[in-house]
Amino acid sequence: MGARVEVVEVRKSWGAGGSGGDGAVAEALAGVSFVLDPGEFVALLGPSGCGKSTLLHLLGGLDRPSSGRVIVDGSDLARLSEADRDLYRRRTAATVFQLFNLLPTMTALENVALPLLLDGVPASEADGRAERLLGEVGLAAKSGSFPWQLSGGQMQRVAVARALVASPALLLADEPTGSLDSRSGAQVLDLIAELASARGVTVLLATHSDEAARRASRTLRLRDGLLER
Amino acid sequence: MSRTRPLLAPLLLRPFREDRGRFVLTVAGIAVGVATMAAILLANASVLSSFTATVDVVAGKAGLTVLADGPGIPEETLERLAWLRMKGVAIVPAVSVTVALAGGEGDVLELLGIDPVTDPSVRDYRFVAETADETSLEKLFGVFRAGAVLVPAPLAERLGLGPGAELGVLSGGAAHRLRVAGVLRMEGAARAAAGSVLFADLATAQEVLGREGFLDRIDLVLPAGLADADRTALEASVRDSLPPGVTVGRPERRTETVDRMVRSFRVNLTALGLVAFLVGTYFVYNTLSISVLRRRSDIGTVRALGASARSVFLVFLAEGAALGALGGALGVALGALLARVALAAVGGTATDFYLPQAAPVFTLAPSALATSFLAGLGTSILSALAPAVEAAQVEPASTLRHGSVEASRRRAVGPLALGGVAALALAALATRPGPVDGLPLFGFASVFLVIAGVSLLAPLAVVTVARLADGPAVRLLGVEARIARANLTGSLSRTAVAVAALSMGISMMVAVAFMVGSFRATVVDWVSQTLKADLFVAPESGRSQRALGRLPEEAIRLVEAVPGVASVDPFLSFEATRDGAPYTIGSGRFDLVAAHGDLPMADGSDTREVLARALARGEAVVSEPYSVKFGVKAGDTVTLPALDGPVALRVAGVYRDYSNDRGTVTIDRALFRRLFRMDGAGSLAVRLEPGVAPEEARRRLLSAAEGRFALRVQTNAVLREAALALFDRTFAVTWALEAVAIAVAVLGVFSTLLALVLERRREIALLRVLGASAARVARAVRLEAAALSSLGVVLGVAAGAAMGIVLVHVVNRQSFGWTIRTDVPWLFLAGALALVLLATLAAASRPARLAASTDPAAVLKEE
Repeated sequence: MGARVEVVEVRKSWGAGGSGGDGAVAEALAGVSFVLDPGEFVALLGPSGCGKSTLLHLLGGLDRPSSGRVIVDGSDLARLSEADRDLYRRRTAATVFQLFNLLPTMTALENVALPLLLDGVPASEADGRAERLLGEVGLAAKSGSFPWQLSGGQMQRVAVARALVASPALLLADEPTGSLDSRSGAQVLDLIAELASARGVTVLLATHSDEAARRASRTLRLRDGLLER
Repeated sequence: MSRTRPLLAPLLLRPFREDRGRFVLTVAGIAVGVATMAAILLANASVLSSFTATVDVVAGKAGLTVLADGPGIPEETLERLAWLRMKGVAIVPAVSVTVALAGGEGDVLELLGIDPVTDPSVRDYRFVAETADETSLEKLFGVFRAGAVLVPAPLAERLGLGPGAELGVLSGGAAHRLRVAGVLRMEGAARAAAGSVLFADLATAQEVLGREGFLDRIDLVLPAGLADADRTALEASVRDSLPPGVTVGRPERRTETVDRMVRSFRVNLTALGLVAFLVGTYFVYNTLSISVLRRRSDIGTVRALGASARSVFLVFLAEGAALGALGGALGVALGALLARVALAAVGGTATDFYLPQAAPVFTLAPSALATSFLAGLGTSILSALAPAVEAAQVEPASTLRHGSVEASRRRAVGPLALGGVAALALAALATRPGPVDGLPLFGFASVFLVIAGVSLLAPLAVVTVARLADGPAVRLLGVEARIARANLTGSLSRTAVAVAALSMGISMMVAVAFMVGSFRATVVDWVSQTLKADLFVAPESGRSQRALGRLPEEAIRLVEAVPGVASVDPFLSFEATRDGAPYTIGSGRFDLVAAHGDLPMADGSDTREVLARALARGEAVVSEPYSVKFGVKAGDTVTLPALDGPVALRVAGVYRDYSNDRGTVTIDRALFRRLFRMDGAGSLAVRLEPGVAPEEARRRLLSAAEGRFALRVQTNAVLREAALALFDRTFAVTWALEAVAIAVAVLGVFSTLLALVLERRREIALLRVLGASAARVARAVRLEAAALSSLGVVLGVAAGAAMGIVLVHVVNRQSFGWTIRTDVPWLFLAGALALVLLATLAAASRPARLAASTDPAAVLKEE
């Protein structure tokens, strides 16, 4: 079952000397509000530096907003304890990045099984489920390969499999096809769309490609920290 | 270099300012290695140069020197050489005796007996406040008076002695009153024994020595301009005129003999010092690797701005050189300090063991300083090579794909392991050959090959253990075990090196514990078998551990007459040489030894039987070191330099002895007195009647000797304690070295983990994104530490046991000729290893905290 996400007047700004962005951007998000219904596939469009990644970090429970609230299935992420946020990342929200999704020192199978092991699933069961998902993304034959032995498209498919292995309610994808050629990119997007809709997972796909956005049921546009109407 | 200079500030100096802790640690690591080496070299140079200086001063202008192989040069030899005067050769006899100052701190001095008439032709004497040379000679004649001595000015000042003052010296248990006849300037002969020297007439010195009619040396001053061939011919004619047991040669040969004596000691210490060096090298490698890692993006940026790969390479090489120079300079200073302190302790032991002379003077030998500094600099630059190459390979504005770099290294695991197996095989082979020129060079090669072999096997060990342990570890310890395993095998170039370094430190500790533990157990055993008498009596010798001089026969009779004394076994010996190598000829009462059986035989045969046979047939027994050194076994013969000509004796047996590594030939006292016309005793082993308390007997003995002989009387318990204390003091420095090696290796684990955490910030962030808690990330780092240190301990113990066996059965046997029974100090080892494991775990806490505090959002934003 997909998550219901409610973003209410969220602002995020960095103090002087903060490490993010170029110094001119004082406020990455300047009051953003929207709702994602369970199972919805929404595209978040905007040029680089517009605050997409910041927003995804907030939704992913990696960061807290300066003000405003992010409510997922009724609970305010900012109010969760550290332990609950860890749990939230393990069970509810999964993320796929543009680059460096995989731990380079683990095989594809070990990468996919990792979220299950982190959640206390016995190793044999975790490996079995990971194997099945690798099969679903068409990489059963590569389960023993290390990331550096895979192509960019294959790496992203492993990342998608890992994102979905623990049956999350929310999938956050941050430019997942940004560094792929168009054919591999399309493959990865197809996978995300197909697997997510089959599982009813709510998807927020950050991208700057209209081509990618076309697969979404709805589009949000972010510019200079604000959603365009 | 001009293109390199602009890079120095951004790439090196500034980062160092930010990372002071690691910088200090690295410099300290190098400094320790350099200091260890410098201290050993300096202490040795000081001991040797003090001795050489004395030899040179005493030999003076002599072109040839006559010395005894046996107990001394009979005075008649002077008459046999009288013909030399016709050829314009000056013949200068001398006697030297080591004495202790009575009272005060018991300072040890050399007393040189000279002939005032002939001596100035070979040695220079300059008096304080003299006006013309004739007065100098006149003053020298003042020595003719019995009991008159000349004193070097610094000694006179220290003791507050002026002309006419009296001083007492002890030798052979007798106190001798001497009177100062003149004060010498600190030049010429006065510089012998660094000024701890007295000059007296021959007769006075012979009386103090208790050996009238014998000389220690005759210096021959050859006419100026003598051709080399003539000198050789003259030497041959002199040799023909000499009585048996007396030889002639160039004065330098004494130095060579001493050099041989201290050589084993020096080589053994140097080999241990090398370990400290290896560990320091590892430190430089590790620090520079971290530097390259931390500055990877900076390097990429300067490369993008146009810096060449060569400049980047040079910058990091320069960093290695700078660290080496700094650590080297610090190390040399530290080493000098260490040597100064150690000379009092270790050098003192060596001197007491090996050199018949007063304490050595600390000298700052430039060659020792330069050698250790350059060694530090050189190894630092060498260990900077790999990181510098790594830095030069950073692509301009690169984003790293570490995995593929590591993958290429992983392919090297197999070949490295093969090399390791080959090294171990060679190590086994190297235990077969015998010593080279008396040194166990192959034995040391074997030890270092074991270290090399185990280091080369470390990568395979890490990979294999990781593969085998993954399943069970994940089931048992959870997913952290898999994260830890992935990190360990994923950064093999770092983790395997850390394991190798730790195992190196541990193996040295285990090997030394093995060796010293076995040696100590053997010595304890031997002491309890041999030191069975109730009291041991020797001449009072002040500060010296050795007994100075010989107790006269009256002293022996006096001890025998003390009520409660059952028997007295006098031990009497002198130093002889065989083929230029020094050894001891000793004697005791074989009837007593045969009765008590307190001289364990090396092959386990019955002492009573062997000694009784030797006594009946007039045979000798030899110590194990003598047997090993000269290849003499029971049934062979040894030739002794008796006064009436060489005497060949059959060897009845070989006995165990750990008190003297030069080797000893021991014969019955009666035979000894006949062959060498020497009496008295260096020391006495006294057995008491049953029921007599040793302390009480000691008091009685001392009061009987009161006013006649100055004796050092020790009870059995005290002497045993002193023997073991001496043993422990000798090996104290070894332990200090090993402790350093271990500490540095543990620090190596710390810096490796730190490097791994720094290198894997992105991966740690990813783990956090996947929902791993900070605590679990930290736990993974601790598991890595535990895995690294357990692997290091397992490999280290295996290597250490192998090295210990080589040290005990090959190195020790070849350099000292001792058979040591294997005795492993299990308890000590278990404690030490537990301490290492705990220390590495404690060292992991900072990297673990660093990993836990990684903020995933911040790391992700960096991209």
